[in-house]
Amino acid sequence: MVDFLIGLFLATLITALFTTRLYRLLFWYALNSLTLGLLALTIGSRLHDRAMLLSGALTILLKAGVIPYILKVLSRKFELVRQIPPSIKTQYAIMLVPAILVFTFYLAEPISHMVQGNANYVAVSISSLFLSLLLMIEHRNVAPKIVGFLSMENALFLLGTTATEGMPMLVELGIFFDLLMAIVVINLLLYREEAQS
Amino acid sequence: MMLFWLLLPPLLMFVASFSQNIWARRLLPISSFAVLIPVAILFRLPKPYALWRDYLVADDLNTYILLLASVVGIGVTLALLTLDRHVRIGQKAIYRFYRFFGLFWVGLSVSILANHMGIFWIGLEMATLSTVYMIKTNHTPAAHKEAWNYMIVGAIAISLVLFGIILIYASAKPLLGEKAMLFDALLHSAHRIPSPFLFEMGFALAALGMFVKMGFFPMNLWLAHIERAAFYPVAALFSGILESGVMAGFFRFSQIAGTVNYDHLFLFVFVYTLLTLFIVAFLIFRAKDFMRLFSLSGVEHMALIALFWVSGGTFAALLHFGAHAFLKPALFLSTGVLESGGRYRFAGALRGYHGVRGKLFWFLVGLFMLAIVSLPPSPMFFSELYGFGAMIDNAKASHHLLAMLGAITLLLVLLSVIFYRFVAIYQSMKYEGEETTKIVYASEVAALAIFALGLVALLLPGTMAFLKSIG
Repeated sequence: MVDFLIGLFLATLITALFTTRLYRLLFWYALNSLTLGLLALTIGSRLHDRAMLLSGALTILLKAGVIPYILKVLSRKFELVRQIPPSIKTQYAIMLVPAILVFTFYLAEPISHMVQGNANYVAVSISSLFLSLLLMIEHRNVAPKIVGFLSMENALFLLGTTATEGMPMLVELGIFFDLLMAIVVINLLLYREEAQS
Repeated sequence: MMLFWLLLPPLLMFVASFSQNIWARRLLPISSFAVLIPVAILFRLPKPYALWRDYLVADDLNTYILLLASVVGIGVTLALLTLDRHVRIGQKAIYRFYRFFGLFWVGLSVSILANHMGIFWIGLEMATLSTVYMIKTNHTPAAHKEAWNYMIVGAIAISLVLFGIILIYASAKPLLGEKAMLFDALLHSAHRIPSPFLFEMGFALAALGMFVKMGFFPMNLWLAHIERAAFYPVAALFSGILESGVMAGFFRFSQIAGTVNYDHLFLFVFVYTLLTLFIVAFLIFRAKDFMRLFSLSGVEHMALIALFWVSGGTFAALLHFGAHAFLKPALFLSTGVLESGGRYRFAGALRGYHGVRGKLFWFLVGLFMLAIVSLPPSPMFFSELYGFGAMIDNAKASHHLLAMLGAITLLLVLLSVIFYRFVAIYQSMKYEGEETTKIVYASEVAALAIFALGLVALLLPGTMAFLKSIG
């Protein structure tokens, strides 16, 4: 089940890279977060870790529900461009994504035997981080960059869940708080831009 | 309770920003001054002093850094009183600035006092996010672009730090459990960490994130562009508080990394800082406005502090750190007046001041300009002497004396380039250009005087003895 969810996590992120419509991108981000939340719930129930169960539930609620919804509302409110073609051509991106995956599996090889749990999960986490960076780089519009930033947060959460079998609850709650604050700041940035024009 | 008093002034600022009352704004410098009382009490308490369980613990190092950050906070609050007289800013934007400044201050205070890697990161992230809006207070396309740049690059930097923290936690969790998040527990058990390689990978990533945030190689110009686009108090907050918070984290992480494998730590930081200094020296030589000049100079000093610290020159690093924390915000705050004649005009910037306030202003700014290039009796002069001494002692112990002497020679050449540029700019400010009358306000002179007093305090024997005791 964990393998399936991690595969789905990676697949949703890769699909997001090739998306050319904003709402579809938000959908893939929500699905990506949903798989992450389910993953935390699965690992948490296996380890009987209540903190991880709570953070999994919060992930599903906030990252798969509230945040994509707020971003959709904001994009409507500020009439953000919904056509978001990536600046890297699809044929090049198709070559770049496997290259990143191979590179990160190679990169994570020396540390993989040192972490608890499955070694490949760490490699997937690192590759997700690079793919999120790629998502930020390949778009000129603001909205996909925001989704890239949020996906990076997901990749780090995945690393925390798989490499350490869960970060302390306090840290995870703090990260959620910061994420919500980021949304407030993004709203203000968009608002001021609107107010000027 | 002590924690409440420490966070009360920034929280008051946050609350007062909603009232939009001019008197509330005028009272904020007084409430900011009040932060010195709990900080002074903290100095007298036995260390380590737990402010909140194991999570926030005050020791001599972070109490000193907190004092520096508090003084900068007071100075910036004073200078903010006249921000609207130097730049075009609406009343609502000013109050929003205060709101995010309050959050920023809370975040950094938590970060500085953190004994927990996760809480350190949360505070830093909170400060980073609140800065984004402070940059955006300037309603220009350049500021808007830089606010987004800061959001994105800042997010990448802070994510690298979290990435590093997770790996460090993973490396020590089998030994320490959840205590693997605590700096003191990690330091005590550094020799026994089951996966030192994983720890070092984590440290390298966290350090890389912190270096990016401070504008080290290869991101030398991003901070300079942001500080240029934002209003000048933002730059003062960056250099005086944000960089202090980041450097406090670097001190903590590097203490542990030094215990795990000192040679690896030294080589990594040594090469990184030398590379940074090499590039920054030439960028400073080409700087054409005050903001970029001071910003790049900040990167130079942060690199020197990191270098002295890992060379074992704890005293030199902390003295340099204190001097930089006072000098750089003072210079950034003075740009509000210095740039009255235009953004890109050095010539005549120190001319045209009348009355006691004006004369005191140019005297203090002149003093700061010369102190930042380490002319005696600047604390930086002494810190650099001690710092280079520590580097040589370090080289003697590791039998790499010739290589170190070569590196120090290179450093001196680079610092000479910076020295030459600053002295040339100072002369241009004082003796060239047209004389145009400039207005200086009392609160600005008061802010500069506080920083000057701070510099003098650093040279007192008691302060020196305290800094030596930290090492």
